[in-house]
Amino acid sequence: MAPDEYREPVPSFTFPRQTLVSLLVFAVFWEALSHLAPYLGIPPFAVPGLLKIARSIAAITPVDIVVTLARVVGALLASFVIGLALAMAMYRSEKLHNYLHPMVRILMAVPVVSWILFAVLWFPGVEFRIGFVLVVVCGPVFLIDTIDAMRGVPRELRQMMQSFRPTTYQFFVKLMLPAIVPTIFTSWKVNISLAIRVVTIAELVGAVTGIGHQLSVAQELFSVADVFAWTIVLVVLLFLLEGLLSRAEKRLLRWRP
Amino acid sequence: MSVLAPETQSGPPPIEVRGLRKVFRQATSGQSVIAIDRLDLAIAPRDVVAIVGQTGCGKSTFFDMLIGLEAPTEGSLRIGGKSPHDDFDYFRGRIATVFQQDRLLPWRTALDNAKLPLELIGMAEDEQNKRALAWLNRLGLGQFINAYPHELSGGMRQRVAIARAFAVQPDIMLADEAFGHLDEVTAGELRDTFLSLARESGSTAILITHQLEEAISVGDRIVVFGKSARLLADIHVAKWPKEQYALLREAIQSTLQNNAPDPRLTQV
Ligand SMILES: Nc1ncnc2c1ncn2[C@@H]1O[C@H](COP(=O)(O)OP(=O)(O)O)[C@@H](O)[C@H]1O
Ligand SMILES: [Mg+2]
Repeated sequence: MAPDEYREPVPSFTFPRQTLVSLLVFAVFWEALSHLAPYLGIPPFAVPGLLKIARSIAAITPVDIVVTLARVVGALLASFVIGLALAMAMYRSEKLHNYLHPMVRILMAVPVVSWILFAVLWFPGVEFRIGFVLVVVCGPVFLIDTIDAMRGVPRELRQMMQSFRPTTYQFFVKLMLPAIVPTIFTSWKVNISLAIRVVTIAELVGAVTGIGHQLSVAQELFSVADVFAWTIVLVVLLFLLEGLLSRAEKRLLRWRP
Repeated sequence: MSVLAPETQSGPPPIEVRGLRKVFRQATSGQSVIAIDRLDLAIAPRDVVAIVGQTGCGKSTFFDMLIGLEAPTEGSLRIGGKSPHDDFDYFRGRIATVFQQDRLLPWRTALDNAKLPLELIGMAEDEQNKRALAWLNRLGLGQFINAYPHELSGGMRQRVAIARAFAVQPDIMLADEAFGHLDEVTAGELRDTFLSLARESGSTAILITHQLEEAISVGDRIVVFGKSARLLADIHVAKWPKEQYALLREAIQSTLQNNAPDPRLTQV
């Protein structure tokens, strides 16, 4: 097998000068716009100055970040376990695979908004609704990626493994799982950014805590500065999680050329 | 080194193949391919046998049945009275294989690759390390035990694969075109190492190849397969005087080309 099969770009976490410059240019432009707004016919609340945004950032309640993060991580772990377990069952049973694979693909085509409406109509509990939406959106990604990767493990390696007569457990633990680790990382990266975006929408509907809830409060108060602040939190959160994943990936995939 | 000594004094079991057939039904065309047609073959304990035949003659299919990965369509293949396919688990640690490519796990170091079959038989961890290390040293890889496969040359990777196969100290050692993809010098070296290790460890060795030179250099016994693994010749090389080797080579060559036994083979 070509070692290239496992190669994919690892997002680097450098902060080049160009990034800083463009951020700075944007900040200056924004600040200028906030002063010019009244003369341009823009309502003053729409473009809050940097100072106002800074105050909003300072006023951020960490508990909401923790709650949202807990929901994301909890739902992702649940999705991962369910996806992996189903993928292993589908790997062992061709029949199950043939019935389930197209069904899961259909589920993946359902828009997030539909899932949120279903969740609101079906389930009374807020936490359960959010969890349901996240798992139903992220679970299939894990499942499809994992089963496709398992079926893509080279026949030569499977045959080699079989020739040494492993138990089913050994076959999965010593061959299939390590072979799909690169795919699992890719899947986690896709799902983390997906989950961060979905959780806020899900929290908009009926939650009394979390970043999504704070966003909806900010919207009711017409506070663009607060929306700005929470959005920055979300973006930073996503970057941090991706950074953590990349580090784990580098460590676990040392064997790659 | 005591860790390299064979565990059993009784020796490997004999291999008996009777009326073996294997028919594949092609999924696309629905046609059937007779990969092996009524093969009879007996291999005695500790025999070192080369099986030679042209590409597509059913060698790998026979090999898969020896390992037990494929079931016979008809007939039987027994090792010590047991079927490698039906009594699959019985042969854990008793049959080992070197494949056409090294088939190392890319995420494992040389040492961990060599250990793999030992882990599967549930050997104690420090015993695994001792054994795998001893075999890697034996194959000249002492400096590279912590290297990943992509850091090794093709020849070195195949050495790791050989260490992995011998580490379980199997009764039956199989090699399917194991050296064909390497350059001639490396291939020759590895083949010699493989054969001397097989003889030393007292296991039965079956080496499958489509190259006549490789078959001849194995020495003891050459089995020539025709189309559908038809047994064209079964040559005990020791019966041939050294000065007739050129004749032997020519006779096998023409047997392979004509898919029929060359009359010169029965002279001796
Ligand atoms: N799984 C399979 N399904 C269908 N046909 C097969 C299969 N495996 C081998 N064959 C066919 O059986 C014949 C023998 O193949 P093989 O044993 O690989 O030959 P060799 O190893 O001597 O080159 C070939 O015609 C091949 O196409
Ligand atoms: Mg072959």
